[in-house]
Amino acid sequence: MIGIIDYGLGNLTSVLGAVTKVGFDGVISSDPGELADCEKLILPGVGAFPEGMANLNDRGLVDVLDDQVRQRRVPILGICLGFQLLGNNSTEFGETDGLGWIDAPVTVLTPDDAALRVPHVGWNEVLQASDCVLFDGIDDGALFYFVHTYKMELPSGGVAVGTCDYGGRFTAAVQNGNVFGTQFHPEKSQQCGLALLRNFLEKT
Amino acid sequence: MLRNRLVTVLTFNEGTLFRTKLFEPDYRYTHNFVDSWSVDEIVMLDVSRDPTHDKQSFYDVVTQFAKECFVPLAVGGGIRSMEDVRQMMAVGGDKVVVNSGAVERPELITEIAEAYGSQCVVLSIDARKKDGEDGYEVFSHFAGQATGMTPADWARRGQELGAGEVLITSVERDGSLQGYDLALCRQVADAVSVPVLGLAGAGNWKHFVEGIEQGGLSAVCTQNIYHFTETSIASAKKFMDRKGIRVRL
Repeated sequence: MIGIIDYGLGNLTSVLGAVTKVGFDGVISSDPGELADCEKLILPGVGAFPEGMANLNDRGLVDVLDDQVRQRRVPILGICLGFQLLGNNSTEFGETDGLGWIDAPVTVLTPDDAALRVPHVGWNEVLQASDCVLFDGIDDGALFYFVHTYKMELPSGGVAVGTCDYGGRFTAAVQNGNVFGTQFHPEKSQQCGLALLRNFLEKT
Repeated sequence: MLRNRLVTVLTFNEGTLFRTKLFEPDYRYTHNFVDSWSVDEIVMLDVSRDPTHDKQSFYDVVTQFAKECFVPLAVGGGIRSMEDVRQMMAVGGDKVVVNSGAVERPELITEIAEAYGSQCVVLSIDARKKDGEDGYEVFSHFAGQATGMTPADWARRGQELGAGEVLITSVERDGSLQGYDLALCRQVADAVSVPVLGLAGAGNWKHFVEGIEQGGLSAVCTQNIYHFTETSIASAKKFMDRKGIRVRL
């Protein structure tokens, strides 16, 4: 069972729809017991960082996630805000600590070209920076759908397996062992997004 | 490089899809012409006017639609409270569109942004040309109620309150197929730094190019055009690409 973590925010229905579409059984859940039994986890996006962390804490989900991801090495995919929550901390609406599984801060997107509007909304190319199973069979430079105001910025390569340019390069996808994350929305990126999701569900 | 978006707007009355002309329903064409593999984003709006209508019929339509929709889905119509927002997200919305509810109570924009992030709030503005003078005025409540605000001012304030995108609609151009009101689009695009989507008036593929190049739009929206053409969104995008607009083909 694929556990889609319900922390009161996010487009959970869309994520479940995409998981179903690629042939897997998913469950939207905020029940620590149920999530503890899942063989894979997805931490969806859409939300503000402080509210996201507060909700994870209030629902007692941080402990079960820590146990599943760090002790039992269950693969997890963070999407958009869920990806940012994997980081050390964020400056969105003040300073808030994240889960800390990806060693990077989350900061506001500041394109070096004033003509580029923020939030960064729409389809943009993802360059594959190092080998990652998520991108199996997906063209380098394929378009994915982004919608975000904050970003993570890691050195390209290594943990940062994908990058994107929007008035400066930022991290579009990460892998640190069993911890995966994408700044873009695979559940909303048509064929390429569904292919990436299938890779996560089949190959990790 | 970020692509310009081609967005399809679908309007529903009591759960039934229809097109509009001058903001009035026109049920002549009620087929679903959305080519969901080519379109970049979809907006679904509940424009039922009876304030006591059952919202469930719209939620049911969105739920069904969202199951096979793997592009972003913005949903709106009648959003007044965070409970409405939660409902719209629960049935499959990726972002919400607010209009009259934000005119009545601008803090609604901030409440949504603080919970779901700015990128989740689209401020929809309906504007009419002023009678006998230059400029535009924002109208709310199905374009029936004057607000005294200019679209540029309201867009700017909306951005300050937390809106992540602005959707500007020309009431006069609705259903006209005469092209976007480019001056209106440009005023709003110049007023804010968030992406601006334009709606109302697109009658041919050239109008999309004008909307982006002259109107300053990040995304061009259509409601009616596919009702009148046999050709697809894919052909519109090929045309835009030939004209030098960066789109997702």
